[in-house]
Amino acid sequence: MTQPDYELDVRPIIAKGGEPFGAIMEAVATLAPGQGLRLLAPFKPVPLFHVLGQRGFEPTAREIGNGDWEVTFRPATGEQNSGAEVSAPVQSVDPSTWPEPAVELDNRGLEPPEPMVRTLEGVEALTSGQTLAALLPREPLFLFEELEARGHLWRGSFEPEGHYRILIRRG
Amino acid sequence: MMHSALSRWTMSYFAAALFFFVGAQVLMVVGYGFPSVAAEAPETLVVVHMVTIGWLSLLMCGALFQFVPVLIARPLRGEGLVLPALLCLLAGLGCLLGGFIELSGAFETGVPLLAFAGVLLPAGFVLAAYVLGGTLWGARLPLPARFVTVGLPSMLVTALLGALFALLLSGYLPALAEFDFRAQALPVHIAIGLGGWLSFSAIGVSYRLLPMFMLSPDKERRSSKIVWWAGAIALLPVALATPLASLFGTPDVAPSARVVAVLLGGISLVFYGVDLAFFYRHRKRRAVELNSHAAKGAFLALVLSATLLLALLASGTVEQHAGALLYLVAFGWLSGLGLSQLYKIVPFLTWLECYGPVMGKKPTPRVQDLVAEPRDRIWFVAYFLCVTVGAAALLAEQPGLFRIAAGGTLLATLAIVTELVLARRLKNVPYAQRAPEGALPPRLFLPRTH
Repeated sequence: MTQPDYELDVRPIIAKGGEPFGAIMEAVATLAPGQGLRLLAPFKPVPLFHVLGQRGFEPTAREIGNGDWEVTFRPATGEQNSGAEVSAPVQSVDPSTWPEPAVELDNRGLEPPEPMVRTLEGVEALTSGQTLAALLPREPLFLFEELEARGHLWRGSFEPEGHYRILIRRG
Repeated sequence: MMHSALSRWTMSYFAAALFFFVGAQVLMVVGYGFPSVAAEAPETLVVVHMVTIGWLSLLMCGALFQFVPVLIARPLRGEGLVLPALLCLLAGLGCLLGGFIELSGAFETGVPLLAFAGVLLPAGFVLAAYVLGGTLWGARLPLPARFVTVGLPSMLVTALLGALFALLLSGYLPALAEFDFRAQALPVHIAIGLGGWLSFSAIGVSYRLLPMFMLSPDKERRSSKIVWWAGAIALLPVALATPLASLFGTPDVAPSARVVAVLLGGISLVFYGVDLAFFYRHRKRRAVELNSHAAKGAFLALVLSATLLLALLASGTVEQHAGALLYLVAFGWLSGLGLSQLYKIVPFLTWLECYGPVMGKKPTPRVQDLVAEPRDRIWFVAYFLCVTVGAAALLAEQPGLFRIAAGGTLLATLAIVTELVLARRLKNVPYAQRAPEGALPPRLFLPRTH
């Protein structure tokens, strides 16, 4: 009565420098009741465990060689081996291995220092390893300093419209 | 923190600057210097240099040490030279003022004070320019920073000419005694100092601060580029007309160079006005804060100054009324803008220094909570009103009225300075919010010892 797991391989998306988060959430939205999602990723997508856990999915992860991982997310009500590892956060400094942002903030229309305050509030609310994306009116030198002092990682760049987009990973 | 984005010594520069600003105004109130004595009298030179070096240049340097790294997102290069620069400038200014007072005959030290000033002041300015220029060097420069790149060489030209004057007055350059510095180089010293160094840098700073705090679009506009080009080119004939004329023996070049400079300067100012109107009109913040409100007084003073210059040129009375014009530029435009922006910068930097470490973790007061805007509005109104009266008094040759007006600006300045001290001390923040655990209440004007 349960359908086979829906399979999604995000390795080609990530290899092309793309953002797989949208594809994953799309796939989750199309799942039939009781159906699971089998995800193939070039890293262990620990933060996704948290995101999908909030939607009632339990992960089972196993390494399949070459650093690639297969993770199966099943609805928590289903029979499941509870041996899934949901432990150590990804320690990579390489932003391409970061999870999709758990929070997206648009702080462009705020007066200084509010863009920085809101961004840090968002970061403080994350769990270790989660990421947050924020749009800021300009390159935030003072924010960089605070992030460094608090041990968070970030990458950022100017958008074509002139504002600055920063992706922060909580340390 | 090792690489602090907060400039360590900026508050010290500001404190010294305000000290000289208040001091100069006290002297004006008691009738020391122009208009009680001649514009070129040593007493006048004391007051003038307290304002231009002590107040305006220290203010601008302190602001740029903070502003330039933020503007180009690079740390200050040679930060260790910022304090030596301040010490050189303070010592040099002390010698300069002492030397002038000696010239006035008030006392005699037997020490060549002016010669010391002629070495120490350029040394201080060179150090400051080295740090700021070195930081800007090779970076991608947004428009406000490009204004600073014109301001810094102008600062050096002004300092160099000033040093020549000082050495000449001290008798250390007898070879140059034959050259008529007063007629040839003094106008350049004044125009490049007030126009190239202080005004151009101030305009650059305003291009970032106004949109930043009013949330106006700050994409580079064509009009802003015209402001830069016209202004920068206007400075060239001012700086070069005299040396080129004497080099090629064509003294009649100077007047036409002046016409070109005034024309280009006028174009620059008109487009600056267009940009300012754009910033205020297209702001996303409904309520304009006091700093941006008060800045309008400075912009108005700039318009008045330009109008006055044109009127004096048309009537051929520039020499006669130069005092009034320079007073309006220095006190209305430059000091007015300086005071209004300090009113935002000091609370803002204080807030960052104090609450930065707890930002996002604990509730913090707002930056606006560090000042009491409704209470201070009146002082900015009083300041600009008194400057206008003072300029009018100089034009009408009413020294008594000028001293009363100077008393008014002094009072307003003292009130604003008091407010800045209260902001540093966090006195306007309700006690319960003042110091959440982990906040770092700052020292008044010295950096924290680590």
